[in-house]
Amino acid sequence: MALQVLSPMPGRVANLSEVPDPMFAEAMLGPGLAIDPPRSPVTAVAPISGTIASLFPHAMGIEADGYSVLVHLGLETVQLNGEGFTLLKAKGDTVVAGEPVIEWDPSVIEAGGLPVITPLIAIQAEAGQITQLVPDGTQVEAGTAVFEIA
Amino acid sequence: MGKAEDIIKALGGAENIDEIEACATRLRTVVNNPAIVDEKALKAAGAFGVLSAGNVLQVIVGGEADGLAMDINDIIE
Repeated sequence: MALQVLSPMPGRVANLSEVPDPMFAEAMLGPGLAIDPPRSPVTAVAPISGTIASLFPHAMGIEADGYSVLVHLGLETVQLNGEGFTLLKAKGDTVVAGEPVIEWDPSVIEAGGLPVITPLIAIQAEAGQITQLVPDGTQVEAGTAVFEIA
Repeated sequence: MGKAEDIIKALGGAENIDEIEACATRLRTVVNNPAIVDEKALKAAGAFGVLSAGNVLQVIVGGEADGLAMDINDIIE
């Protein structure tokens, strides 16, 4: 059964090749896409229902039924040590797809010189397992289904 | 600790690791001699990929990066 993966935020759907970090651009972690968020405060929601297996101020990994989906808010944002991010959940919590997990303000992060484009990755899935549901360049809302994992 | 030990060995041993820390999905490490790092062994130890630039290596390991970095630091300290 295919699992639908929701956009964690409003924004523009972008190809992973646009992400200026080869770990994401070359899909080393797995396939997916990126969301280019608005430059204003946004709340990142859970892309799937499941357990928060990893949680950082700037990233969340949700696992369910053998699937694992990562949302990485911006790039190199680990160096901010959490500044500019507010966690609404804790590691180990169970979440429903669409539930708010992290608040952040991409305009602040970008003003600090870091990219805000946000990879959404099906960890260690095969490229062929992914079906993108909306074309690159589409403006989506938080909670819009953007790809499926078979 | 098996995986942490395998990664240390593939990075050229504890004495080759100057610094190692975790990001959400990868280990970032500074090694003294990048020439003795064994990328194949890193992948055999479970790394999805390796990015290197001079003495700085990124070992892509996914969500367990944090725990692995702690294990590795415990062993090499």
